[in-house]
Amino acid sequence: MATGAIVTTIIMWLIFIGGLGFCFSRLGKGGEWED
Amino acid sequence: MAEVVRERWTGRAPFIFAAIGSAIGLGNVWRFPYLTYEYGGGAFLIAWIIGLIVLGIPWMMMEFGMGRLFQRSAPGIFEGIGKKWEWLGWWPVSVAFLIVTYYTVIIAWALHYVVSSFTVAWGLGKAGAEGAQAFFLERVLNLSSGPEVLGSFQWPLVIALALIWVILFFIMFRGARVIGKVSIWMVCGFWAILVVMLIRGLTLPGAVDGLNYYLAPDFAALGKGGIWFAAFSQIAFTLSLGMAGMFAYASFVAKRADVTNSAFITSFSNCATSFFAGFAVFSIIGFIMQALNIPVGEVSTSGLFLAFVSYPVAISMMPAANAIIGVLFFFCLFFLGTTSAYFLAYGGVISPIMDKFGTSRVKTTAFVCAIAFIIGLLVFTRGGGLYWLDMVDRAVAFYGLLITGALACLVIGWVFGTQKLREHLNETSDIKVGVWWDWLIKVVVPVGLLFVVIYGGFMKDISPEGYEGYFNWSWPIWTILGVTLILSFVLQAVKTRTLKGGE
Repeated sequence: MATGAIVTTIIMWLIFIGGLGFCFSRLGKGGEWED
Repeated sequence: MAEVVRERWTGRAPFIFAAIGSAIGLGNVWRFPYLTYEYGGGAFLIAWIIGLIVLGIPWMMMEFGMGRLFQRSAPGIFEGIGKKWEWLGWWPVSVAFLIVTYYTVIIAWALHYVVSSFTVAWGLGKAGAEGAQAFFLERVLNLSSGPEVLGSFQWPLVIALALIWVILFFIMFRGARVIGKVSIWMVCGFWAILVVMLIRGLTLPGAVDGLNYYLAPDFAALGKGGIWFAAFSQIAFTLSLGMAGMFAYASFVAKRADVTNSAFITSFSNCATSFFAGFAVFSIIGFIMQALNIPVGEVSTSGLFLAFVSYPVAISMMPAANAIIGVLFFFCLFFLGTTSAYFLAYGGVISPIMDKFGTSRVKTTAFVCAIAFIIGLLVFTRGGGLYWLDMVDRAVAFYGLLITGALACLVIGWVFGTQKLREHLNETSDIKVGVWWDWLIKVVVPVGLLFVVIYGGFMKDISPEGYEGYFNWSWPIWTILGVTLILSFVLQAVKTRTLKGGE
């Protein structure tokens, strides 16, 4: 693969994994799932 | 009367999977990878991520927040803001209904191909590759000469469409509890198949060339308007917002449950799936280029032709396991389409009708399924169906969705008040949002959506060629859009008269 494509792939996965990791780390900090 | 006890998801996972299932659709596979390739690879992804953060996630938080706050579907929410705004809730209901009438026909094509793939009915080897397009247009669709010639029914498609509506009925008639469970299985099933497709794609010769086309960055593209239109339109369409369904899905959430973090998780999961799907798609495109010794410009890289022509070409040329890969790929499309179809039908249409007219779930579901099936049958399963599918899609999934989305943001932002909604969101949220979010909803999201409408819609469709060269047939686009709008006013009037009659 070309260098540009590899760098793009790594950056995008860092964004998604980082974003989802942050969201999952915050689970359960507020709210209740039953009335 | 409206339901006394609101139906509920059985937990957070079913809600998030149902929302992800609705967001992940055919566009993730056949639109996103193509746009990335067309608009500068890595450079497009920058514009796309910006669109996700300033437009997609705030808009989803708004729909989730309003649904949970009012515990009603779209018309009930806008009626709650002010009686005069109720039509704005019915408009996306009309849009969702029309979309599901043709969306299910595309799923019927996928089901047709699942069966055809067992024998690779379009042929193996180079003969199959050359015959794939004719198989789709002539054998499957029996495409007529134009939209004015509707032609005869395609009975395999009619049977597949009927089967799909029966499946949808059984998923929907027991409400959110079953929808949540089915969504977990379908989304995980789709992801599992996607991994298999990716591994198969990456192990084919030429895959790396395809990936270079997909991702190689061209930063000069960032200075052009086209890339921003493409990125914002993709974000606007990919999250299944503006179609009433997300309001309903969020209204099935418990009153004190978090929705902000759920909006982030849903959006990121959807976009990660798009990015991942691009690898599966472009590795196959690279393989086709090498196998047939043709440039990328001669391969259909987007839309229906990617799924129903390019992929069958690749399946014909594969060295082994052709039938298995074919069956898996079209099952993948079936899963993708089905999760979005019951979102449109149940969240977008059935739930609003039940809320407003107090009808039972079973009867409403049966009624909506029957009417949508009949419309799909009469228009889209015939030889001229593809033309009409294209035009109805342009009218409702493009203009209808974007305009209702922009108006909804303006009314909620300036009439209802984003501060009130933000405080409500923050009361129970895992992630708190600040004042910046108010301005995104009041200004940035509606401006972004209207930019897409004007730049990619009006400016193109009023040109002498008309939409996609239809020219004389552009008028149905505006007619269909007008009908959905008028229908929304009629439904508001019917409801008002029903209430007065009951008093």
